[in-house]
Amino acid sequence: MTATQIDLLQSAGSASQANLSIRLERTEVNAIAARGVEMVYQSGTERFQALKNIDLEVKSGDIQLLMGPSGSGKTTLLSILAGILTPTSGSVSLLGEEISKLSSSKLAKFRLENIGFIFQGFNLFPALTALENVEVALNLKGIRRAAAHRQALDLLDQVGLSQQAKRHPQDLSGGQKQRVAIARALAGNPRLIMADEPTAALDSHNGHAVIELLRNLAKEKGRTVLIVTHDPRIIDVADSVAYLEDGVLKSGVRTR
Amino acid sequence: MASIARKNLFEDIPRFLVAQAGIMFAVSLVTIQVGILKGFTRSTALLIDQSTADLWVASKDMVHLELTSPIAAEKVVQAQQVSGVERAEALMIRSSIWRSDSGLITPVRIFGFDPNSRLFAGWDVSQGKLNAVKQPFKVVVDRSSLKNLGQTQIGEQGKIGTLPAQIVGLSQDTQSIVSSLFIFTSLENANAYATAGLNTSVNCTRKTQGNLVCTNNFDNAPLDGKPASLTPPRSLSISDPISYVLIRAKPGQDLQQLKQRLEAALPDTRAYTQAELAEQTQVYWSERTGVGFILSLGATVGFVVGMVIVGQILYSSVADHLREFGTLKAMGASNWVIYSVILEQAMWMAVLGYIPSMAFCLGLGAWTQTAKGIMILITPATAGGVLILTVVMCVGSALFAVQKVTRVDPAIVFKA
Repeated sequence: MTATQIDLLQSAGSASQANLSIRLERTEVNAIAARGVEMVYQSGTERFQALKNIDLEVKSGDIQLLMGPSGSGKTTLLSILAGILTPTSGSVSLLGEEISKLSSSKLAKFRLENIGFIFQGFNLFPALTALENVEVALNLKGIRRAAAHRQALDLLDQVGLSQQAKRHPQDLSGGQKQRVAIARALAGNPRLIMADEPTAALDSHNGHAVIELLRNLAKEKGRTVLIVTHDPRIIDVADSVAYLEDGVLKSGVRTR
Repeated sequence: MASIARKNLFEDIPRFLVAQAGIMFAVSLVTIQVGILKGFTRSTALLIDQSTADLWVASKDMVHLELTSPIAAEKVVQAQQVSGVERAEALMIRSSIWRSDSGLITPVRIFGFDPNSRLFAGWDVSQGKLNAVKQPFKVVVDRSSLKNLGQTQIGEQGKIGTLPAQIVGLSQDTQSIVSSLFIFTSLENANAYATAGLNTSVNCTRKTQGNLVCTNNFDNAPLDGKPASLTPPRSLSISDPISYVLIRAKPGQDLQQLKQRLEAALPDTRAYTQAELAEQTQVYWSERTGVGFILSLGATVGFVVGMVIVGQILYSSVADHLREFGTLKAMGASNWVIYSVILEQAMWMAVLGYIPSMAFCLGLGAWTQTAKGIMILITPATAGGVLILTVVMCVGSALFAVQKVTRVDPAIVFKA
């Protein structure tokens, strides 16, 4: 089955068809596929190979963890898989699209339509309210003011922050900020969620809340979630864990 | 989309105010310099612009309004006989020294004209009566000159040379910034002031061929010398020197053809339309003196300073929000979306810097005109031009800031 066929099934609208498509994606289509990815940084005569011949496949609807010690290349790999960095060699396919071959403008459009990002540092716009932070993401996707306002409120409600919609990020706790970031990542219903250390800056309670939200994204909403993390608590909800060390993918563990 | 540009701008109010102060400084500097340049240029030809004469006939040596060789008053009579001339009258411009009762002396430029006609004095006196200058030793001065003449009000008296001069009227917007103080009076008074205090003599010598060569000598008598007896000024004779013949053409006359007829009938003269004389005078002051260059330089410096200030402000603002721009890029925003945020920020800064600056400059201009007689001319065209310049300045600076965003590593978003 091709990605186009899956799209058709998803757009058919009925719950059974959507479930069918998700089930088929999980079993037959890789949402993320990396082949022979290498990344070399060159600075003068200095040459540093951050990633060495990475092969990785993430099935649709899975929660995939990327773990490993600091400096192992996790964030570099995440940047490449998200289409933010271009690998020195190798190819990356997202949702069946070979993104390595896309122009930068098409790649940006692909990210806009298909990927939601969650950052360790939240990366919220401090001058905007929680609501406006989510609205901006919706506006970028072409959703107009009134509809964006309505959807943003709905997304904040989904992460339990509708009461804090008018607050600015500096008035929110770390956990609340990350939930706003998750609401923003969900804007426009992207099929891929890429998260970089989403629980690193959070205490135990907020960490668990965020983990639960991520689990829901995959298990109830069918999103494919790629998470770079050091946090062992997330392993419990992951479908697969890949360990990276010195730029080499050491092992992959299928947890379920 | 929620205006990230506007919100970023107002996020830190003290920082915003400091930034706006810089822009206001630059905008005000440019506006004032341009206003002074235009005011200065305009003021040099104010009297020409306000006259109702169609043509001005001067010596062919004329450089600008106040710098010309004298011509004989008989040319007025000759001009009157030229076909197409409805009226011709004399204008005399002379220099002298004003002495106030307190002993303050200041150089003055005396304009002698026919107060019965308005060919020269197209302007109105704001206080007193223009016709009063028909009386002996009565003068009108510009309101802004009073203080510099050592006077405080109408009715007070000073001296021009050794003759008395009583102020009987105040004019407004008639004084050139760069000239001596203007004194307006009748031709007879002006002639009297021009020759008062001069000792005249004739030296004649016989040359070897038997020719007699005579020279008229005019020597300044000491200012504190005993004044000549106060006989009423005499009427002008045809041999008296004047500066211009002002012409009113008969209705329907082609001024260019009339100019040619006048120049043919009055040897060694040139005739100018009002616009030609005004332009020649303005060009002289703005191009042949350093004043125009210096003021233009000031305006240019203001623009460059503004560019630097706005550029620094925008650049540091972009640097402060680099992670946010990186986040937008990572999310898939096109470069244009990010540029538009920076450009919008620049536009806000331009408009919010421009409005108070222009209000300040208009207020300052009104004050300098009233209090000092210095015109800071801010026309709608100047105001519009400065607005465009401000926008160009801010947007130009934004283009520098955009470079920083263009080079931003999108992976910055993953750094904690």
